[in-house]
Amino acid sequence: MSFRHIWAITRKEFHHILRDRSTLFLVLITPTALLLLFAYALTVDIQHVPIAVLDYDRSSLSRTFVQQITAGEDIDLYAQVETIGEIEDLLMKGEVKAALILSPNFSNDLLALKGLPLQVIIDGTEPESGVFAVDHIAWRAEEFVNQAVAGQLQAMGVPLDTLQPIDLRIRTWFNPDLKPRNDLIPGLISMVLGMPALSVALTLAHEREHGTLEQLMATPIGRAELLVGKMVPYIIVGLINVVVIPIIAILWFRIPFNGSFILFFVLSAIFLFSILSLGIIVGVFMPTQAAALALSFLVIFFPGFFLTGIFFPIASMPEIMRLEALGLPGTHYAVITRGIFLPGVGLDVLWPYAIMMTGLGFAFTGVAALFFKKKLG
Amino acid sequence: MMNNGKPAITVRELTKNFDSFTAVNAIDFDVYHGEIFGFLGPNGSGKTTTIRMMLGLVEPSSGTIDVLGTRVNQGVGDIRPRLGYMSQRFSLYNDLSVLQNLQFYGKAYGLNKEAMEQRIGEALEMSGLVGRENTQTKELSGGWRQRLALSAAILHRPEVLFLDEPTAGVDPVSRRAFWDLLYKFVAEGITVFVTTHYMDEAEHCHRLAFIQRGMIIAYGSPEQIKHEKMQGQVLEISPSDSIKSIKVLREAQQEDRLQVEEIELYGSLVHIIAVDLEEKKLLVKEILGQADIDIEQMTIIEPSLEDVFIASMRD
Repeated sequence: MSFRHIWAITRKEFHHILRDRSTLFLVLITPTALLLLFAYALTVDIQHVPIAVLDYDRSSLSRTFVQQITAGEDIDLYAQVETIGEIEDLLMKGEVKAALILSPNFSNDLLALKGLPLQVIIDGTEPESGVFAVDHIAWRAEEFVNQAVAGQLQAMGVPLDTLQPIDLRIRTWFNPDLKPRNDLIPGLISMVLGMPALSVALTLAHEREHGTLEQLMATPIGRAELLVGKMVPYIIVGLINVVVIPIIAILWFRIPFNGSFILFFVLSAIFLFSILSLGIIVGVFMPTQAAALALSFLVIFFPGFFLTGIFFPIASMPEIMRLEALGLPGTHYAVITRGIFLPGVGLDVLWPYAIMMTGLGFAFTGVAALFFKKKLG
Repeated sequence: MMNNGKPAITVRELTKNFDSFTAVNAIDFDVYHGEIFGFLGPNGSGKTTTIRMMLGLVEPSSGTIDVLGTRVNQGVGDIRPRLGYMSQRFSLYNDLSVLQNLQFYGKAYGLNKEAMEQRIGEALEMSGLVGRENTQTKELSGGWRQRLALSAAILHRPEVLFLDEPTAGVDPVSRRAFWDLLYKFVAEGITVFVTTHYMDEAEHCHRLAFIQRGMIIAYGSPEQIKHEKMQGQVLEISPSDSIKSIKVLREAQQEDRLQVEEIELYGSLVHIIAVDLEEKKLLVKEILGQADIDIEQMTIIEPSLEDVFIASMRD
């Protein structure tokens, strides 16, 4: 490996990047744009779910119950109806996402402490809103029953302060507000920072397409030198985003950053090396830029999205997918970004992931250099 | 032409098969130090495959290639800095400037700072691009780009320069200028291996090989090839109707009334190749006269390489 040869390629690649606005845009702006896009698209809170109510009981208690569940921002009372047929109609038209039916025994059963006879019907074609409505109604119903029980006990002359209710307290560590963003955005960061891998795959295919690769191979520059020289500029440009993206996460999304930034920077550099090596493999095997782009989506972009555990826990994947996930640099990097952002852990915890990324990087570069014979035919 | 007696390049029994297709079929040739060696042949005859094998870019199926005393069958390795190459497709980066391209190839071949400055100055002068260093390469026209690519290939002063169809698609004036540069390099002691499909460029080479369907069918200096391959002379006729003349003469040839080797259209002229042409002149005149074709001029001329190659290709 000659530093001069690597530098010759690196310098040339920098000239290409600076000359070509679209490449510059792709490597500098895309990670930020993707982060904003996904963060907003994926963390929309469900509110104002329209429901229909069919109250067979028509008592003051049932009216109070309906009032209580539709108070607030979560559920809106769209219509009070008289028949099941009307509910079906409203659900078919999509005007309500769920319907609540109160049994004629609603207040009797409640006062007799026999439970709460309720029925909830949801629109299975859009289960997110329906399930949300069910959860909300169940939670309010529990509260309502507790109040009723307390009232009954009081009426029976039991002093309330002697009661020892079950005290169940759930504590969520690291992300106390259970805000999905706090967990999602560090995961997303691990994905968007890998975007330069696409560019590096394209640049190799570009040289092949334009015939300059043949000329390059006739020079004394070795194949490993060529591959490393092509990676260096994209690692450097990628590191700019390693600084910019956490700043956006902290200032814009208010994500706490509890760990060491220096550790984050160093581990991100290792991640860039390993994901760019994967991009280089794509460039080595694909004859044209179009093919390289298609394969990049197949092996870098989509797996980075779905297999690295950002959205779906790796533990619940079939075994073969879990193995594939282990071979993706993003899987290990997602653990690192989440670990450094939220609990703020250090290298004592993260070292296995750092080693995995380094190993994958060298393995990918080795495979690329091996197959990237200095041959054309 | 010889330099300590050993050829710069020795190729023996070189063969390249692609699946069932044989691109290069057991060819032999030598290239001597300080000569322009022409590798001629029609498109698809195996020229580019051969040049790629000589540069170690393509592995031969069998046979041997020795370049500057190194066997390059599995790659040229250490002698790479001693070789220069200009591939068939335009080999510079279109989006980089003239200067950036030259600097890149200078660095790729490990030139130090002083050598770089001096060579780039010479290269700019040679390609006539002084003052246009910062022009983007894609803005240059064909002839300029070709000369710039040549300057880049010669930047590290290689001992052997490989050129694959360097003048394809370049206008005649630029082609002439390009060949003048090649003569200049040779005068400086560089050995040039050049492929072309232009017949007229063959005459410019010191020695050449003519390849057809992967096999060498003529090899030597232009004079040698003419002498060996040309059995007979060339009769150049300038008839009133050349197309009709060809038809009439070929009929006569088929019916054995006219015993000649070749009858070819040569622009608006007709070339007849045969031994003892003097004796056949009258017969030709008679055949054309019977077909009401006037002959403006009829002379026996020195054969060109084009005549030779057409004659060889018919064999």
